[in-house]
Amino acid sequence: MQTRVISLLVEDNPGVLTRMSGMFTMRGINISSLTVSPCEKEGLSRMTVAIKGSESELEKVRKQLSNLIEVLKVVDLKESDSIIRDLCLMKVHTRNTDARTEVMQLADSYGARIVHASLDSVILELTDEPERIDRFVELMRHFGLKQLFRTGITAIGLE
Amino acid sequence: MTVKISGAEIVVEELKHEGVEVAFGIPGGALLDLYEVLYNEEAIKHILMRHEQCAAHAADGYARVSGRTGVCIATSGPGATNLVTGLTTANMDSSPIVALTGQVPTSAIGTNAFQEASTFTITMPITKHNFLVTRTEDLPRVIHNAFYIASTGRKGVVLIDLPKDVQAKRVDVDLHPKETFPGYKPNIIPNKVQTKRTAEALVNAERPVILAGGGVISSGASEELRALAEKLGAGVVTTLMGKGAIPETHPLCLGMAGMHGHIYANRALNECDVLLALGTRFSDRLTGWQLDQFAPDATIIHVDVDAAEINKNITVDIPIVGDVKLAISDILRWLDKERIRAGTVWLQRIKEMHSACEDCIRDVWRAGSSTSDILIKELSNILDGNAIVTTEVGQCQMFAAHYYMTREPRTFITSGGLGTMGFGFPAAIGAKVAAPDRKVVDIAGDGSFLMTCQDLATCVENDIPVVVCIFDNRYLGMVRQWQELFFDKRYSHTHLGITPDFVKLGEAFGCYAERVEKPEDLKSALNNAFESGKPAVLDMIVGKEDKVLPMIPPGGGITGMIGTERCRRV
Repeated sequence: MQTRVISLLVEDNPGVLTRMSGMFTMRGINISSLTVSPCEKEGLSRMTVAIKGSESELEKVRKQLSNLIEVLKVVDLKESDSIIRDLCLMKVHTRNTDARTEVMQLADSYGARIVHASLDSVILELTDEPERIDRFVELMRHFGLKQLFRTGITAIGLE
Repeated sequence: MTVKISGAEIVVEELKHEGVEVAFGIPGGALLDLYEVLYNEEAIKHILMRHEQCAAHAADGYARVSGRTGVCIATSGPGATNLVTGLTTANMDSSPIVALTGQVPTSAIGTNAFQEASTFTITMPITKHNFLVTRTEDLPRVIHNAFYIASTGRKGVVLIDLPKDVQAKRVDVDLHPKETFPGYKPNIIPNKVQTKRTAEALVNAERPVILAGGGVISSGASEELRALAEKLGAGVVTTLMGKGAIPETHPLCLGMAGMHGHIYANRALNECDVLLALGTRFSDRLTGWQLDQFAPDATIIHVDVDAAEINKNITVDIPIVGDVKLAISDILRWLDKERIRAGTVWLQRIKEMHSACEDCIRDVWRAGSSTSDILIKELSNILDGNAIVTTEVGQCQMFAAHYYMTREPRTFITSGGLGTMGFGFPAAIGAKVAAPDRKVVDIAGDGSFLMTCQDLATCVENDIPVVVCIFDNRYLGMVRQWQELFFDKRYSHTHLGITPDFVKLGEAFGCYAERVEKPEDLKSALNNAFESGKPAVLDMIVGKEDKVLPMIPPGGGITGMIGTERCRRV
C-alpha cells in the first residue's frame, strides 16, 4: 500500500489532536507518521499526517476531517508536487578508527552532520526525504545503531 | 453591553437569547450553580427527568417534532455518561441538540475526583462538536456557536462541559456575540451546473424514482418534494428517517424501502432508470447487501448537505452537496422550461403499486393477519394525520414503519441509525412538550419500554399525557424472529418471562392503564386513554410468534424479500 500524506491547518486548541486522530481510529487506519507544529498564523497549527491506505479510504477520511469544526483546511500532498522532509538523529557505534572514518565518509556523502562524538560512538543528524534517510539508516546498521529518532515527515506543496 | 455576571447566569442568558424555552435535565453537585439560576427563571421551563438518557431522548423528540434545537442537562460523571446513548442516538439521526454537562472544578480535572469522568473525551466521537469550557469569559461565544453548529448544515449534537468553578466565577463580558468559527462553513448552496445536469437527467427519464431521506424533513422540503414528484410523475420511496416527507397516502408514494420496507418500494428502486436520492446516507438497512440489485440500471443523483456522505456507501453519477430544499427548488426551476417525458406506463405502474400497498393497510381484518398486523393497521386508521407517533426499536418499530401511514412530516419519530431500545417513550415526552395540542403515541415493545419506563413519573408529575401502546409478546421480538428464521428456533435468552404486569405498573405511577386482550378492543381503549387526559399505558397482547414480514434476509438484496406470499402481485 502506498504512503499518502495529508496536511491539515487546525485551530491550536486542546483536544484537536484527539479529534483528528479519532477519524483514523474509527476506520482502523494506522497513522505511520505525524507532526504538529505552529505555522504562519497565530492560533493555528499545521499537522502533517502520513498513512498507508487506498485512495478511496483516504478520500473518505479527508472529507470527514474537513467536517471537523476546528479543521480549517485539508490538503492532499502528492509526492510529485510537494517537498517532503524528515529529520533523523541517530547514535552509531564507532568501535575503532576504521569504523569512525568510514561512518564519517558515508555521513559526508549523505549530507549528514556529526553533532556529537565520544570515544565509541557518534551522533548524526540528517534532514532529507524519508526514503533517503531509510537508505542511510540501513547503511549505519552495519556499524551498529545504538539509538534512532525520527521526527516524522513534514511537507509543503509547491503551488 | 458589558456586565459582571456569573458563568451560570451567562449560560442561562445565552440560552434565552437562542430562544430556548424548555430544557430536560437532572441536577447534581457539579450543577448547583446553574440550577440556582434556573430556579427563578421563568422563560425556560425545566422538566425534571428520572434518568439522563431520557433527558437526551426527550430533547431529541422535542427537536424532531418542533424543528428547533433541543436542550438537555446532566451533571458530571454518571450524569454525563448516562447521556451518551441518547446523544449518540440523536447525532446518528442528525437531530439538533445542545447538551450541557456539569464538570468537577478545573483544579480537580484529571484527579479522579468524585463524580468525575472525562466527558469531553467520551463524547468526542458521538457529537458533531463538543467544548470543555475552562474560562468563564469564553461562555458567550461557546454557547452561541454550539447552537449555530447544532442547527446548521448536517444538524447534530453539540455538548458543552461546564466545570463548577467556571459556572461560579463572576466576570465582565459582552453577551450575545455573533462571531463564528473559521473552520465551520456548511455547504448550503447547491452547485447550479449539477442541478441543471440533474434536471436534464430527470427530463429524459422513463422510470424516475425519488428516494426521500431524513434530510427532506429536516430541511423542510416536503412541499418541494411533492411538487417535483408530481411534475415528473416519479414514484417516491422513503427511508425510515424519511417517513412523512410525503404523505404515504399520496398515489405516487410507495412507502418505505429497505430491509423491512414495502415490496414495491424496493421493486421501484430496482426498476428505475433515474434515481434522485435526497438527504439520505444509503444505510445498509436501505440498500440490502447485494448492491448489484440496488438501482442497477439507474443514473443515481445524490443530494446531501454533508459532502462526506457522497460516494460513501453508493457510488453516484451526479453528486450535489447542499441543502435539499434549495436543491429541489433549483431543479424545479430548471424543469420549468422543460417538457417532461416520464412515460404513462411507468406512472400507471407506480399507481398500481401504491394501491396494492395502501389497500393492504386499509384492509385491517384481512384473513391470515397476525394480531400485531391488525393492531398497527388499526392505529394507523384511528389516529389523525397530525398525531405524532414515536417508536421503540425492534418488531414494534418495523411494524409501525411498514403499516403506519404517516401523513405529515415530523410525525413519525424513531431511532433509525443507532436503533436505541427505550428511545420511543422519552422521545414521546419531548414530542408532547413540543406539540401539547396533538396526540402523541409511543408504539412500544415490552422489552424496549422497560428500559426507560421510570419516566412515567416525569409524565405524571409534569402532566404530559402521552399514550404508550405496548406490543406485549414477552419476547425480545425481533431477535426472536431472527432466531426463528435463521437460528433453527433456538430462542436463546429472548424470552422475558411474565413480569411485570404493565397495567399495574402504569397505575402505580398514576397513569391510566388498560389491557387490550383483543385487537377489537383497541379503539375503545385508545379512546379511554385520550379521554382520561392522563399519561396512559395500554398493554396490547399480541401473538408470541408474530413476525414482521416481508423482509430482506441477512446477506440478501432488495429484490430478494421473503414473506411476500400475501402481497398482491402487480
